[in-house]
Amino acid sequence: MDPKLAEVSQLFERFKAACAREDVDTCCNVLSKLKVLLTGFSSLPPLFEDTPNAIHELTLARDIYEHAVLLSVKIGDQDAFERDFFQLKPYYTDASSRLPPSSQEYMILGLNLLRLLVQNRIAEFHTELELLSSTALENPCIKHAVELEQSFMEGAYNRVLSAKQTVPCKTYDYFMDLLAKTVRDEIAGCSEKAYGYLSVSDARQMLLFSSDNELLQYIKEEQPEWEIKTGQVIFQKAKESASCKEIPSLQLINQTLSYARELERIV
Amino acid sequence: MALRRKLKAQVLCAFLNFALSPGSEPHNRLAAHLPKEDEHEMEFDTATSVSQSPVKHPLPELEIYCYLLVLIYLIDQKKYSEAKACSSASVARLKNLNRRTVDVLASRLYFYYSLSYELTGDLAEIRGNLLALHRIATLRHDELGQETLLNLLLRNYLHYNLYDQAEKLRSKAPRFEAHSNQQFCRYLFYLGKIRTIQLEYTDAKESLLQAARKAPVAALGFRVQCNKWAIIVRLLLGEIPERTVFMQKGMENALRPYFELTNAVRIGDLELFKSVAEKFSTTFSSDRTHNLIVRLRHNVIRTGLRNISISYSRISLADVAKKLRLDTANPVADAESIVAKAIRDGAIDATIDHANGWMVSKETGDIYSTNEPQIAFNSRIAFCLNMHNDAVRALRFPPNSHKEKESAEKRRERQQQEQELAKHIAEEDDDEF
Repeated sequence: MDPKLAEVSQLFERFKAACAREDVDTCCNVLSKLKVLLTGFSSLPPLFEDTPNAIHELTLARDIYEHAVLLSVKIGDQDAFERDFFQLKPYYTDASSRLPPSSQEYMILGLNLLRLLVQNRIAEFHTELELLSSTALENPCIKHAVELEQSFMEGAYNRVLSAKQTVPCKTYDYFMDLLAKTVRDEIAGCSEKAYGYLSVSDARQMLLFSSDNELLQYIKEEQPEWEIKTGQVIFQKAKESASCKEIPSLQLINQTLSYARELERIV
Repeated sequence: MALRRKLKAQVLCAFLNFALSPGSEPHNRLAAHLPKEDEHEMEFDTATSVSQSPVKHPLPELEIYCYLLVLIYLIDQKKYSEAKACSSASVARLKNLNRRTVDVLASRLYFYYSLSYELTGDLAEIRGNLLALHRIATLRHDELGQETLLNLLLRNYLHYNLYDQAEKLRSKAPRFEAHSNQQFCRYLFYLGKIRTIQLEYTDAKESLLQAARKAPVAALGFRVQCNKWAIIVRLLLGEIPERTVFMQKGMENALRPYFELTNAVRIGDLELFKSVAEKFSTTFSSDRTHNLIVRLRHNVIRTGLRNISISYSRISLADVAKKLRLDTANPVADAESIVAKAIRDGAIDATIDHANGWMVSKETGDIYSTNEPQIAFNSRIAFCLNMHNDAVRALRFPPNSHKEKESAEKRRERQQQEQELAKHIAEEDDDEF
């Protein structure tokens, strides 16, 4: 076997062992070394040359990047995830005809969709969705992300939170936690406008806090306009009804003057 | 178009023999694509023309025109692989020519080049070529070519759903005044599609409607596609297209699925929407609008909610869930969150009473006592006045129409008078000295 290829495979084995041990620092070091070694192969994107070992090299590189993506989820680094995913994408799209399909492809695609949803990049979410074939859309990992987006758009936030229990794989947990936080902010915003008041226990339930103290702390930090009185959370201060509105005289004067000017211009 | 129907093998052979000297390289290449049944006729022609003219130097334009005719003939005969070969040869030839007079023919050739590859399903192969051609056209300031090639590239990317790359190309490519109406229409359509996928519905609606309006009446298929996408974008924006849109001449059958879809969205009935989406799912997948239809579900729920909120002053959340036909595990809680979000987005005007589990609609106050009518009137007045000013500016009087045309005699008379006057002045000057 090619000596370079052998070296990379060995290093990759050490990387996998470090991952299994949950040794994050070694993982990161070995990963950087692997990436530098990969630049030596000319059969990888963007060159895509047809060397004799091309298939082997491509498969190996794809595995390395997949593990890199999963590592970035473990350490919670979203930028690293984005970088590694972009490097991984050509393997799924352009090289897909030459390589056997990867077992983790759909899971990683689903993870990416989830990440876009958490970062509220809905336009890119939909662009990515267009690229998926109909067989991909049937896959449970991807279907999960799509249904999550739909529930989020419709406003059925309890469905979003209950979906946390039905994740197809454990790696989704990191993003689901982030999503839960976004959802909580959304629910708070909606409740503010929709309810006049809520009892403390109901508010706690809706915002998914485990105790009253957490709820009170959240209100103190995030929502200073909410008042707490006699066991109820009042959202809107009592507004004066039917305030006599001033006539916006300046605006009206401007408008009427412009009408007069234009009419004069008509010959 | 009339010429296209008359294109037959013999006519083409005769033209090729006339335009290009037989035995020359381009002639051989092109003639190779034509069917060989008329061999004896060709030989006859070859013999006569060889005797007539020694050597003809065909203009490059003539050569390119021959390429174009042969290509159109092959595509009409459905010989797509041969058309592919012929078009690749012509593009290779075009790269060496740098004459502005060839530009118009060249742009037609690029179009058929892309078409022949598309019909054989090999569009990805020519992407690199098209990009190189676009670079060359920009360097040579060949604006028509640039336009055509940009549209072909966008079409290429959109064919494979690569919306991201298409948008990157479109935003970076140099823009200028459109030369050809057809190319501009195409560009607007592709732009509208990209904007729709990126969730910018207002821009998309504008582009798509403009494309549908500017397109020539004969381009029925193109207008149908534009209208399909425009309808969906309008539904996504929350407005219902009028019935006349679906009743346009020649488009009734094609737009029928979209008509039923609009109906379901208008009523706000989720069950009906789901059944319509399933019934016409093949049409929607072939139109590539399937993902957009899925996004419409949200609009259906909103419309249903709005109807409920207007009709009831107070309604329990369980009833809301039943009316919306939410088929989920926990409909009441879902309905509550959906209603809360709708209130926050300003779609309905209501409050929720969590303890009793019902939704209370607010009374819509007397709107005429507020400033609203004035603002609405103002925007309309401003629009009309702007249009008036634009129309006045655009008025063009034909030049010199208020001067009567001088007839020849009058001109002679005038010239004579001027000469006499000049002589007179000259004499006066002489007298003074």
